[in-house]
Amino acid sequence: MEIFRYKSDAWGQRVLEGASWDLLWFFVGAALVFIVLHAIYKRRLLKGSADDE
Amino acid sequence: MSEPAAHYDVGTRVVRHRLADRLYHWLMAAAMLVLLGTGFLPILGLRFAWVDAHWIAGVILIALVLFHIFRALFVLRYADMWVGWREFRQSFAATTKEVLGGRSARRRFGKYSVGQKMFHHAVAIVVLTACVTGVIMMVGVDSPFWDRNPLFITEKTRGVVFLLHGLAGLFSITMIIVHVYFAIRPEKRYMTRSMIRGWISRREYEVHHDPKLWGVDE
Repeated sequence: MEIFRYKSDAWGQRVLEGASWDLLWFFVGAALVFIVLHAIYKRRLLKGSADDE
Repeated sequence: MSEPAAHYDVGTRVVRHRLADRLYHWLMAAAMLVLLGTGFLPILGLRFAWVDAHWIAGVILIALVLFHIFRALFVLRYADMWVGWREFRQSFAATTKEVLGGRSARRRFGKYSVGQKMFHHAVAIVVLTACVTGVIMMVGVDSPFWDRNPLFITEKTRGVVFLLHGLAGLFSITMIIVHVYFAIRPEKRYMTRSMIRGWISRREYEVHHDPKLWGVDE
């Protein structure tokens, strides 16, 4: 997965163009991973509380 | 001019978000969705004239951010959004303990939890980066404000500006998804309601919030 996008300038030199759009799915995936981990954490927490009662 | 901590409404409701702040939040959300849609849908292959819609939404976002900065400086209370080192350490230690399977005493917080405050600050960094870089990029586009000037910045600087703008957009996607997830979680719905209707119940206030950290005027 590329992190940067490059292009050639008027003199043919390779210059930075911006962030690679391959990263789009990484950022969507990071959000989904966070949600899954948080949901597991909260579920465990709630289960722990129920077991105590 | 700073607003009082909070207001009871007939003894049963506590005002958490005033109308101006709720309008700011939802208009910002709409502007962000337009910006992300016009910014990323063309990349995903949906072809349409996105440039004008993108910069117009950007200008609206900048106006909203300036409005919010004004309210933050002169109307809202810094203390509600300030993350103290001790508060951060306590919250971090308690969460770490819970993640590792331990138990910690349930914590009441002020107007916002540490997590919410950290999220706000992350959004502030990302949105301000997007706004500043967006204005620089806009110089290269014809608009009612000026005629385009593609030579305003060097090619190298343009690359850095585009990189920062792109990263701000990408981080925004992650943060919006996570934000919506928290907004619909059962234990957070009372906060989501407060962002729609403005208030939380007195019971919600007493259960979740520490009066020492977020006092109310009765």
